[in-house]
Amino acid sequence: MNHQTRVYDNILEMLPSEENPSPLVRIGKMNPAPGFELYAKLEWLNPFGSIKDRAASAMITDLEERGELKHGESRESGRGIVEPTSGNTGISLAAMASAKGFAMRAVVPQKVPLEKRVLLRIAGADVDVINDQMCPSPGMGEGSIGIARSYAKAQKDHYVMPNQYENELNVQAHVRTTGPEIWRQTQGRVTHAFVSLGTAGTAMGLSKFLKAKNPAIKIIAVQPSEGHDVPGLRNKSELHVTKLFDEKQIDEILEIPFELAYTRALELCRTEGLFAGPSSGLIYEGARQVLLRDPKQVGVGVMMFCDNVFKYVSSMVKHIPGLGEE
Amino acid sequence: MSNYAHPEVLVEADWAKANIGKPGIKFVEVDVDTKAYEVGHIPGAVGFNWQTQLQDQVRRDIVSKEEFERLAGAAGISNGDTVILYGDNNNWFAAYAFWLFKLYGHKDVRLLNGGRVKWLAGADLPLTADKTEVKPTAYKASPADETLRAKLMDVIEIARSSAAARPSNLVDVRSPDEFSGKVIAPPGMTETAQRGGHVPGAASVPWAKAVNQDGTFKPLVELKQLYLEEAKLNPGKPTVAYCRIGERSSHTWFVLKYLLGLKDVRNYDGSWTEYGSVIGVPIER
Ligand SMILES: Cc1ncc(COP(=O)(O)O)c(C=O)c1O
Repeated sequence: MNHQTRVYDNILEMLPSEENPSPLVRIGKMNPAPGFELYAKLEWLNPFGSIKDRAASAMITDLEERGELKHGESRESGRGIVEPTSGNTGISLAAMASAKGFAMRAVVPQKVPLEKRVLLRIAGADVDVINDQMCPSPGMGEGSIGIARSYAKAQKDHYVMPNQYENELNVQAHVRTTGPEIWRQTQGRVTHAFVSLGTAGTAMGLSKFLKAKNPAIKIIAVQPSEGHDVPGLRNKSELHVTKLFDEKQIDEILEIPFELAYTRALELCRTEGLFAGPSSGLIYEGARQVLLRDPKQVGVGVMMFCDNVFKYVSSMVKHIPGLGEE
Repeated sequence: MSNYAHPEVLVEADWAKANIGKPGIKFVEVDVDTKAYEVGHIPGAVGFNWQTQLQDQVRRDIVSKEEFERLAGAAGISNGDTVILYGDNNNWFAAYAFWLFKLYGHKDVRLLNGGRVKWLAGADLPLTADKTEVKPTAYKASPADETLRAKLMDVIEIARSSAAARPSNLVDVRSPDEFSGKVIAPPGMTETAQRGGHVPGAASVPWAKAVNQDGTFKPLVELKQLYLEEAKLNPGKPTVAYCRIGERSSHTWFVLKYLLGLKDVRNYDGSWTEYGSVIGVPIER
């Protein structure tokens, strides 16, 4: 493979790595602290469209190497993957599973936007949509995780569950790729990483790698307000479902009214030409708040822009008045 | 843990595993997500659908005695069987089915502590997608035991009395936003009421507070703290629990009656969808 000419033998060679990093693009007009270099890391330029390509590829490769996936007479008769997902991990897994000839079943919560559910099917996944918002109540497990676990347990011959909520490779993927990319792209000058929390794989992996390089680097996480509608992200009250999360690895968690995920994403599209999705919008708002505390501060910040806005057209229409009018 | 008032109505996962397939023991799964049973269940368990099988399909009511007999009979349950109920979401609908079994006089019915979540987490606890073969029985139910039920009039009486004269404790087990009237029902729910808020005099204790993160019930000391200390329920009085349509409250009904051992506990199955639509009754926000 040749990252210079960008000629590849197959799509999987395009997966990000230190040699083939996702781009960093500097924020212009929307940077409230001009002396502070603020970058967006465009994860939507990964081959399957999101940051989750990293964890998905680490997990599926590991399952394959350990002989947990099996080719059958047909795709369905072999042993494939089942995974609870808000969409992006599922889309990455489904694309890679299809490319490798394995079946994939995605179990998604009902609030996942239509675009993602359809994309999962386009990528070749069977999709179960789970209504797990029925009674928002403290201490409730998530339905999609339970159903995925049920497939893996009751139909062992057909399914194995990578389980991004417990799989250490979800963290390792960022220790091996995202962290080293940022370190190299900023020539070791990075001072802040701005992340969101879904499985917390990104936050934990970046913290582990970057703080080992320089303990002064700040890991700042954002969380949407309770009762939010930002697919892929969790409020602290929902984080108990991920076994990877360790609050001590993070310097600060900012809670942000979730509607700002949508309005900031729109502003990034219109002002910076960055087609950011809602989780990127929320992360940008977090960075903005930190910079506004002292607009004279200097430093180098990297925001993880997890995916682009294309998959969220229906969510944008729901949350931005007037956008859907003809 | 077994210092609960009636520990015999709760079984642990190990006990359940050891009793799979034993004669006289019937497992029944009841889920919020009616798809869950199909994907995988305890070997030999039958599945009940709360939407189509546990309520009358014409009138707004629980299933009739005859319907309940048909349902239990078709599930192969005999009157003398030990029925083990379990389900998703911390046994939410399993507790509703438990209330129905008790209402129709079944002697030995129990809940699997931790429900589906705990079962899924146990590496050695079996789950299958195989269809369960059942031999239908001729099940005989008793007439509905109306002492387990509170009616609209009972609740209005509580609402209209002063704190000192209140005939019963009242527990609202819905989410804080439903209690405060910020929402009438959780998002996306079709069963709703005309008004938001709560019954005057009700204490707010969201039902899921009675369970641990792993799905099992909290120990007795914590339940006492929650219901008797914090919510200040008076153990000398009867207690009524309500929610939106009467299912979450059957979970709290179970906790109050069988784990805490309160004397006269009733589930108000009309709940907020009934009360919040009645003309002229007092509502607090
Ligand atoms: C759009 C989007 N943003 C952010 C995240 C959060 O990433 P992580 O799971 O690594 O915490 C996810 C992943 O679930 C996502 O899909």
